[in-house]
Amino acid sequence: MSGVTPARHALRQDAVSSPAVIGELRGVSAAYFGDIHVLQGLDLTFNAGRVAGIIGPNGAGKSTVLKTFFGLLRPLEGDVLLNGQSVARTPSHAMAAMGVAYLPQGRSLFLDLTVEDNLLLGCWPIRSHRRAVRSAVQRALDIFPSLHDARRQSAGSLSGGQRRFLELARALLLEPKLLLLDEPTAMIAPRFAAEVYAMIRSIANEGVAVVLVDQNIRPCVEVSDHIYVLELGRKTAEGTAQDLQTDDALRDVIAGWLEVRGG
Amino acid sequence: MTALLPQVLINGLIVGAIYGLLGLSLTIVYGAMRVANLAHGDLVVAGSFIAFVMTTQQGQSPMLSMLVAFIGVAAIGGLIYSLALRRLQNSPEPEIASFLFFYGVSLMTGAALLFIFGADTRSVLFQFDPISFRFADVIVSHARILALAIGIAIVAGIFFVLYRTIYGKALRAAIMNREALLVVGVNIDRLSLVAFAVSFGVIGLTGVLIGLVFPAFHPFSGLEFTIIAFIVVVLGGLGHPVGAVVGGIIFGLCEQVTALYLGQSLGMIVGFLVLIVIILIKPDGLFGRASWNA
Ligand SMILES: Nc1ncnc2c1ncn2[C@@H]1O[C@H](COP(=O)(O)OP(=O)(O)O)[C@@H](O)[C@H]1O
Ligand SMILES: [Mg+2]
Repeated sequence: MSGVTPARHALRQDAVSSPAVIGELRGVSAAYFGDIHVLQGLDLTFNAGRVAGIIGPNGAGKSTVLKTFFGLLRPLEGDVLLNGQSVARTPSHAMAAMGVAYLPQGRSLFLDLTVEDNLLLGCWPIRSHRRAVRSAVQRALDIFPSLHDARRQSAGSLSGGQRRFLELARALLLEPKLLLLDEPTAMIAPRFAAEVYAMIRSIANEGVAVVLVDQNIRPCVEVSDHIYVLELGRKTAEGTAQDLQTDDALRDVIAGWLEVRGG
Repeated sequence: MTALLPQVLINGLIVGAIYGLLGLSLTIVYGAMRVANLAHGDLVVAGSFIAFVMTTQQGQSPMLSMLVAFIGVAAIGGLIYSLALRRLQNSPEPEIASFLFFYGVSLMTGAALLFIFGADTRSVLFQFDPISFRFADVIVSHARILALAIGIAIVAGIFFVLYRTIYGKALRAAIMNREALLVVGVNIDRLSLVAFAVSFGVIGLTGVLIGLVFPAFHPFSGLEFTIIAFIVVVLGGLGHPVGAVVGGIIFGLCEQVTALYLGQSLGMIVGFLVLIVIILIKPDGLFGRASWNA
């Protein structure tokens, strides 16, 4: 929250020992209707303490990757693993209790409930432990002083940036092992966006596996440890942030679809 | 006739509180599940018949009748939810589909009551001691006092759950953003099932209160209560819990005062007039459309 620029934290390919695998997609194909495959045989790995950036043109299937992981969409083929266990058939509502937090694209707040009640609902899986709930909500409000001041206001009265912080605060309440973020800086002021990227970095530094779907390639690449490039539901490239700067083929891929988007 | 006014106001309040309860369960089912329960009144009357069996026939207490009616109608609600609700909600036109479905439930309930009890009017008879209470010039029957007290307690309980517990907050959140509720880990299907069954239980219990307050009912009294419940809900603002209770009291008072000055048969008509006037002034009802604010 200190206005640290994300660039300073970027590029963590210094690790020698390989980090623990938290989440995996293995050969996943998925469709919304019939056999129109939106994802086609995807292999992705999400590691503890690392930010995995997913970039790609509009409609590439980036959001669908997160939805499939979270169980909102059943894979037609392949498997989804969480800590080595298949969660391909696990219902979405069970994911939060298993340590997966998800920030969908667009709004995921209850706008007519207070800030505090939005946080309270984030504690649903531990609702029977009232003391744990209270201290989790209190911790979140301590971390986000602006939310603390607004805790009795409706979430709908918050600015776009503050709403995003509330969503993040709620996602972090139960100390997830895997955090799925779908365009967390879309539609918010640049000043808030910088804070969000800094937070993403520090969340990963605490050991969380972060998956960041983002349209803003530059900040996404800067904050990510590993980048996946998606096109038409396929992984067309992957590599570290450094690879992205140096690998010509990878650069061309991105330049290619940037042109498509621009034109 | 003005000497009778305090008496009528009290009665209006009692009847109004029950109408409010009638609207409250309707509005919760509508608000949380987008289901227009056309069988509302018929299930209320089913509750009244349970009270008839329990008190008039079996000599049991009204309190026990309430418990039995709650459980019985809640079970019907749970069954309806499990068999039909998911399918209705997934249909391309969920509101029309549920409207027609519950019209069917309405007809079936009325027919079942007719089959079991015949077409006669029935009453809830129970020997209260004392039979009535006197406050200055106003006399109120024991049955009505009991109905009012239980009605207030149930309304207070519902509001407590809706606004002060995580379950009620989740239910209100369901209408705001269903996907987000999945994200925080709520099993919406199970939450809806419980909410649906409890709302139906309240419908059954309301039927017992109606049996205590109104002199008689028969298998086809249901439509009248369905209409009143819808009026009350629209009056207060669709899907708005506080609105339903206030709407119920306004409607009850209007009905009773009109009956005093213009005769019994005009009571309902004036209720409609009030509805029309309020909707002309405030098209979304007194409290506006459901936002389920804290
Ligand atoms: N709910 C849906 N129903 C049907 N098709 C969808 C739905 N959501 C996305 N799609 C389609 O799936 C493809 C991938 O979408 P999405 O994952 O949202 O892409 P991205 O997030 O990369 O922009 C697109 O062709 C899109 O039209
Ligand atoms: Mg998307």
